[in-house]
Amino acid sequence: MSTWDPNIVVFACNWCSYAGADTAGVARLQHQPHFRMIRVMCSGRIQPGFVLRAFEKGADGVLVSGCHFGDCHYVFGNERAVEQFEKTRNVVRLLGLEEGRLRLEWISAAEGKRFAEVIDEFTDQVRALGPSPLAGERAGAAAHA
Amino acid sequence: MDAGRHPLIEIVTGAEVIGCEGEAGDFRVRIRQSPRYVRADRCVACGQCVDVCPQVGGNEFDVGLKARKAIYRPFPQSVPAAYVIDRAACLNKTMLMCENCVRACDVDAIDFDMRPAERELRVGSILVAVGFQEFDARRLGNYGYGRFPNVITSLELERMLNASGVTRGHVVRPSDRRTPRRIVFVQCVGARGEGGRPYCSRFCCMNAVKDSMLVRQHDPAVEEVTILYTDLRAFGKGYDDFVQRSREQASAKYVRGRPAKIERAAEDDHLVVFVEDTLGHRQERIPADLVVLSVAAAPNDGALELARILGIETDPYGFIARHDPAISAVESTRAGIFVCGSAVGPQVIPDCVAQASAAAARAQLFLADQRADERKAPVEALDVSGPPRVGVLVCHCGVNIAGVLDVEDLVRQAAALPDVVVARDHIFACSAAGQDELVELVREHKLNRVVIAACTPRTHEPVFRETCARIGLNPYLLEMVNVRDQCSWVHARQPAAAQEKARALIRMGAARARHLEPLQAGEMPMTRAALVVGGGIAGIQAATDLAAQGFPVTLVEKTDRLGGRLAAPNLTYLYPNLRPAAEVLERKIEVLRRSGARVLLNTEVDQIAGFVGNFEVCLRGNAQRPRAPAGGTRTPHDPAPQEPLKVGAIILAFGADLYDPTGEHGYGTLPNVVTSQDLERNGIAAGGVTSRIHEAESAIPKSAAFILCVGSRDPEGFTGCSRYCCATAIKQAMLLCRRGIDTTIFYRDIRTISTGAEEMYRQARGMGVLFVRIPPDEKPEVVGRERATAVRCFDELLGRRIEVPVDLVVLSVGMRPRQPDTDWFHDTLKASVGLDGFFLERHPELAPVETAVEGVLLAGTVQGPKDIVDTVAQASAAAAKASVYLAYDTVRLDPAVAVVDEDKCRGCGTCVEICQFRAPQLVENTAGAEPGRYGTSGEAGGYTAKINASLCKGCGTCASWCPSGAITARHFTDRQVHAMIDAACAVAAGAPPAEEERVGP
Ligand code: FES
Repeated sequence: MSTWDPNIVVFACNWCSYAGADTAGVARLQHQPHFRMIRVMCSGRIQPGFVLRAFEKGADGVLVSGCHFGDCHYVFGNERAVEQFEKTRNVVRLLGLEEGRLRLEWISAAEGKRFAEVIDEFTDQVRALGPSPLAGERAGAAAHA
Repeated sequence: MDAGRHPLIEIVTGAEVIGCEGEAGDFRVRIRQSPRYVRADRCVACGQCVDVCPQVGGNEFDVGLKARKAIYRPFPQSVPAAYVIDRAACLNKTMLMCENCVRACDVDAIDFDMRPAERELRVGSILVAVGFQEFDARRLGNYGYGRFPNVITSLELERMLNASGVTRGHVVRPSDRRTPRRIVFVQCVGARGEGGRPYCSRFCCMNAVKDSMLVRQHDPAVEEVTILYTDLRAFGKGYDDFVQRSREQASAKYVRGRPAKIERAAEDDHLVVFVEDTLGHRQERIPADLVVLSVAAAPNDGALELARILGIETDPYGFIARHDPAISAVESTRAGIFVCGSAVGPQVIPDCVAQASAAAARAQLFLADQRADERKAPVEALDVSGPPRVGVLVCHCGVNIAGVLDVEDLVRQAAALPDVVVARDHIFACSAAGQDELVELVREHKLNRVVIAACTPRTHEPVFRETCARIGLNPYLLEMVNVRDQCSWVHARQPAAAQEKARALIRMGAARARHLEPLQAGEMPMTRAALVVGGGIAGIQAATDLAAQGFPVTLVEKTDRLGGRLAAPNLTYLYPNLRPAAEVLERKIEVLRRSGARVLLNTEVDQIAGFVGNFEVCLRGNAQRPRAPAGGTRTPHDPAPQEPLKVGAIILAFGADLYDPTGEHGYGTLPNVVTSQDLERNGIAAGGVTSRIHEAESAIPKSAAFILCVGSRDPEGFTGCSRYCCATAIKQAMLLCRRGIDTTIFYRDIRTISTGAEEMYRQARGMGVLFVRIPPDEKPEVVGRERATAVRCFDELLGRRIEVPVDLVVLSVGMRPRQPDTDWFHDTLKASVGLDGFFLERHPELAPVETAVEGVLLAGTVQGPKDIVDTVAQASAAAAKASVYLAYDTVRLDPAVAVVDEDKCRGCGTCVEICQFRAPQLVENTAGAEPGRYGTSGEAGGYTAKINASLCKGCGTCASWCPSGAITARHFTDRQVHAMIDAACAVAAGAPPAEEERVGP
């Protein structure tokens, strides 16, 4: 392979962001395919452990997404998600990972186009950062497990 | 979508009503259905037919901006999802048969032999919800619509802004498809006097404000947006705040004025809008690249004919008439036929939704004994214990998936995954044959987990879950992998990477499936009775509707009589037709009496415990005692309560307070300054005196001034609009004017939005009522020492300060949340209130009468200011929603909720704090219980959290916050999510995928 492609994990809430990705699909809005989506009911469910596990297992980037403020299906789940995200970001910093590998975005069910744009932009950003330093470690560790 | 799937709803598309006989309770309706030439029961909406159709024509939905084929799906979310053939455009009618679509269809859904069919339906009631159509802007020649390509309608703009629409969300000039730099919105096109239509279209102001913001956010190239308006009618909940935000972001320039004409510059496509800026007092020529006409809602072409067939009346414009515009929200002029939404006149979405529920509530009155039970008999459950046996079914979705992805490779990979015992593919997994295949696989291979790699779970999970349930496989053992919407459709240009992604997604799905657990839907008994709090018009209506359906209803009213604001002397005549309030109220109370609802006057709610289906309510006689504080116990002096009342649902309908303006505009000090309410109470309509001083002098005033928005739209206080006051002030002004009193109304925007109100406004102007427009940030000054003698203010339209001598000042006071009741019920029931202090609906558009608390509903002004008709509509809607709970003797509890591991819980209360739905609660440990792992939990004096499954909505937020890891979010457990994360990263990091943690005990 001539170019290196990152491996990105996307967490999305069922009601907005996951639906936004579907909307992108219905409109056939092409975007880069190097992410893997994990659906949860609400962004409030996305705990620091999920994100950190993804990095630990070798993800090069993690995107956390949910509904815009005021739109959360469970009223304030996304506001809780922000607080969790802040905690996560601190740990990611401590791990020595670049901040650009982690991102939080609000994408509504209607914003298929925005979804595609966010994915493209984030993918490029992570690609520019290169492989995660933890990805190598993890691969090495796995060999001993 | 929900309606399309509902077992008791039959959707007949392409149908029209051609006859109607019978009467309420037993109508016979004849309908004619035009053929769609595609069998909806077979079509799987794969779209292969569209690809081969040679005929390209105009597309109604994208308002001519985009083409469509002769075979098409009207819009992406259409129900049924099947395609339709436009026979006028189709080639398959001559001797030269085309039949490309017939050949392309893999499921034989296309049937050119379909003929129009007629059938008769027997129904108890009829709901008319035919909506509106756009006013044809071509009729206003001076705007150039139809002549200039760059003059478009708001609907056309809306389609452009839609990300999946014609221009993929970009706004372009139709003439050259370039981004316009300057956009001008023209409001009230075909409304408020233009094009012969006097009414206000209600939704256009907010729509223009919203679109102006969207356009600017979207395209930085758009430099300037101007909105030409007359009054900004931001009357809905939170709308004024929204406008404020748009002003702060300077997304649009607001110019008050209606264009005289729009012309095209000679040299290029530029437009020039000629308008008189009535606040700036200038003639303006505004250059524009794109002009958006906010076109009004007009009655549907077919509405008149439909009304004739159904035997109901229409209003002068051609909308369906309400039985009585002052009070009926959904009754047509004929019993058993109801009307909702924009069929009666333009509406905003929240009001449409409330009316729709209201109409459904009333319609039930004629169906009461025909309620069907949609629940099915249980099937014997398959034994799913033992190690996971996963089956994977990969769908081709015609060429939608298989055209991009190598399905065979996916199947091969899937078969090799841990615990997968079989993997297959199917051309259309969701078709009947596909479902049969799934059933076969489960039976033959004794599967206890199923993975379907196809389209999105958001639409198809219910379909496959149903199939699982049909054969007794617990539906929570199904996992869907979205390889269509989120893979083949969006990565078609990179097939290799798409294949890689699809493999990963299937790996992730299979990994999660291994950890799925069967979940049993719980049930709780439902007390099939309701409590209505408050005996105003909202409470009366809600209680009547519920009782008439046969449910036991208790209505409690704190005072000694029913009627609230409608009761004399609070209100005399109702706008717009000056019906006496007393007469209307009497009728409503009479119907309530007959409905069999129990009415308790002088009674208050003292305590409420429990939750949906099982509320226990203590009531007490009203002996002027303060209520016990929320959550506290009653004071020992209280008389013993009667038996606590048991109800399944509670409707809050205790209304709102009126703003007390004491200290403002001389109210309280100057004797001839009164509120709008005082004016009613003083018997304005009966020719009574109008203020204390006039009473003392037994004189009537010579002149009167109304000051609007007192206590509303106030940046320091309630920022919203109180909705009722404009029309009420105009009604009162007309009554004064008729008695020879010179009347002036000081306003910021006239928001006559209800049926007939705009006409009343014009009539008032005709009678000589003066309207003075004042700036939003300045309050008019009331002059006078002993009594008010004049009102001083800046007249925006004259452009200078004026002083109007007056003998009477009327303050049109806004609404406020009723206290202390709002606070008390908020604390007790934990139903949220919004920033404005009114109860917060669960969703403004989708659930306008529900709260986030199950079983607690809102009727009338507890949810925010509104007028009588809107209140009545909401009350009926609340009754409809309550009856959904009461229709069954149990409540089904979704098992995919959070549960607490009591051994791990330390009783810290984090979950209690973060949950919006009051599901977790700390329960004190009983002495002598086994100590938990962390000690505290089992000790007496310690606490353990318990989550009430009937309140939990399953968002999982508490699980992610629990510091002791004691909470599990079922169906989205840590293990399940971890398995997906690991699988997502596995190959990318070069780890062998087989090395995964063992599953099961
Ligand atoms: S449901 Fe989307 S963030 Fe809560």
